[in-house]
Amino acid sequence: MGKTKGLLLLGALGAACLLSLAAGPAGMAPDVILNLRLPRTLAALTVGAGLGLAGALFQGALKNPLSDPYILGTSAGATAAAVLCFIFGIDRSSPVFFAAVFAGAFGATFLSYWLARLAGRLSDAALVLAGVAVSAFLSALVMLALSAARGRALPLLSFVLGGLYPAEPATLAASAALTLLAGALAAGRWRALDALALGEEKAYHLGADPVRERLIFFALACASTSAAVALGGTIGFVGLMAPHIVRFISGPSARLLIPAAALGGAAMLAAADAAGRLVFPPSEVPAGVIMALAGAPFFMWLLWKSAGRRS
Amino acid sequence: MPALKVQGLEFSYGAGPLINGVSFELRPGDFMCVLGPNGSGKSTLLKLLTGFMKPAAGSVRLAGEETAGMRPGRLAALAAYVPSETVTPYDFTVREAVLLGRTARAGLWRGYSSQDQAAADRALEETGIAALAGRSINSLSTGERQLAFIAQALAQEAKVLLLDEPTSHLDLRYKSAVMGLLSGLAARRLAVAAVLHEPALAALGCNKALLLGRGGYSFGPSAQMLTRENLSSLYGLPPGSPLLP
Repeated sequence: MGKTKGLLLLGALGAACLLSLAAGPAGMAPDVILNLRLPRTLAALTVGAGLGLAGALFQGALKNPLSDPYILGTSAGATAAAVLCFIFGIDRSSPVFFAAVFAGAFGATFLSYWLARLAGRLSDAALVLAGVAVSAFLSALVMLALSAARGRALPLLSFVLGGLYPAEPATLAASAALTLLAGALAAGRWRALDALALGEEKAYHLGADPVRERLIFFALACASTSAAVALGGTIGFVGLMAPHIVRFISGPSARLLIPAAALGGAAMLAAADAAGRLVFPPSEVPAGVIMALAGAPFFMWLLWKSAGRRS
Repeated sequence: MPALKVQGLEFSYGAGPLINGVSFELRPGDFMCVLGPNGSGKSTLLKLLTGFMKPAAGSVRLAGEETAGMRPGRLAALAAYVPSETVTPYDFTVREAVLLGRTARAGLWRGYSSQDQAAADRALEETGIAALAGRSINSLSTGERQLAFIAQALAQEAKVLLLDEPTSHLDLRYKSAVMGLLSGLAARRLAVAAVLHEPALAALGCNKALLLGRGGYSFGPSAQMLTRENLSSLYGLPPGSPLLP
């Protein structure tokens, strides 16, 4: 990554922050900016960074450019666990909540991975299909829980839709710390992630134990996804798009890709959240909806591209 | 001490033994070809040698060290392996890919040391692809790509080099270039073993041959092993076939 390209990424991040601080129907009063938009911008940055990081880790560890926490069912697992916690009255900033969300994320990811491997060799398509099946089932469970707990369902609905609503400072701090920790640990193992991106067999023979390394990267990706879901609910496609876009700047090697994907994801989600406040004022479009509008066509383009590579 | 010593290796995929009591040893400077019909277990044998697949019985020693239960990091320092094909969707440059050969020697958090860079430079020079260092591995021709992954294996600086079909899909010029490169490596005291599909290529530098048939094997100096009679019975071809050397 040249200096210019690095500055480009930081510039995009800065612009997204400014936009997020300025955008909204309430104008530019200092009170609104400091007390409403600043916490929300920080939340968007944290969620975006966590999802971008998780996407980069999954895409490398699975050698699959179509993977991200949304497609693999990681987010759905985390959301299902979070909804259960709400129903049982577990506080959003308590360690129990984070532990449960992490367990949900990790369990769902491993279930998708295990299902995809049943077919023998791990193919890109099998992984996506397994992720869709796991996500669909978990989303159905969430909807079931929401229907059953109708009285308390309204605040949960916005969570499930994926949006950045006023977050408690404690949840924000816990999520940011968890994302930073996962990012730092992943960045230290960048070479193993590159080795895995050449395939399991090659990684083994280069000296990186593929089973152990994959487990570590899954755990780190699930931790940062959990941090993101705890704060912003289910927001898709950031993890898919951010690594693909920042690779133009950072190159494919995880050494620069890991920090770049986190920064790129943060910029992307901050911009998407700001855009959501601008399109239909005074009502707000959740950031998750904006991301899906941009991300689903991107996913189709990736599918088309990977089909072209195969033929 | 032999660079590689294999004793009584056995393996099956369930239906009858595939590798049945194979024993052989390679010394530094040996260049062995592994020949046999499709499905005779040539590629499986290489993966058993590195421990990527676990043998049902038998032992593999690299420079005297038993490989069973060895950490991949230690193994990568003793033996390098080039798969028949390495596919990745990501556009690593040739230099990045070659540097990954240093994975086992570089620690967490660190970038590459000057020794790592020097090892990559030597590997790029030795394989003759220094001019391609900045190119994406996905933009290379099949032959150039094969050389890039051989360079990656050389950057590991292991004393044993194992290659699975390094010459398939290559044109005659690259076949000869790869065989020349491998015999040059054997000449500087590496032990090299390569799975080959064409017995004729063995004449380009192999001094040992392992013939894997269904159910049995034979091993010895290539001059004695690669006779017309042995090869015709190995592949089930008439002795007069023009495909035999």
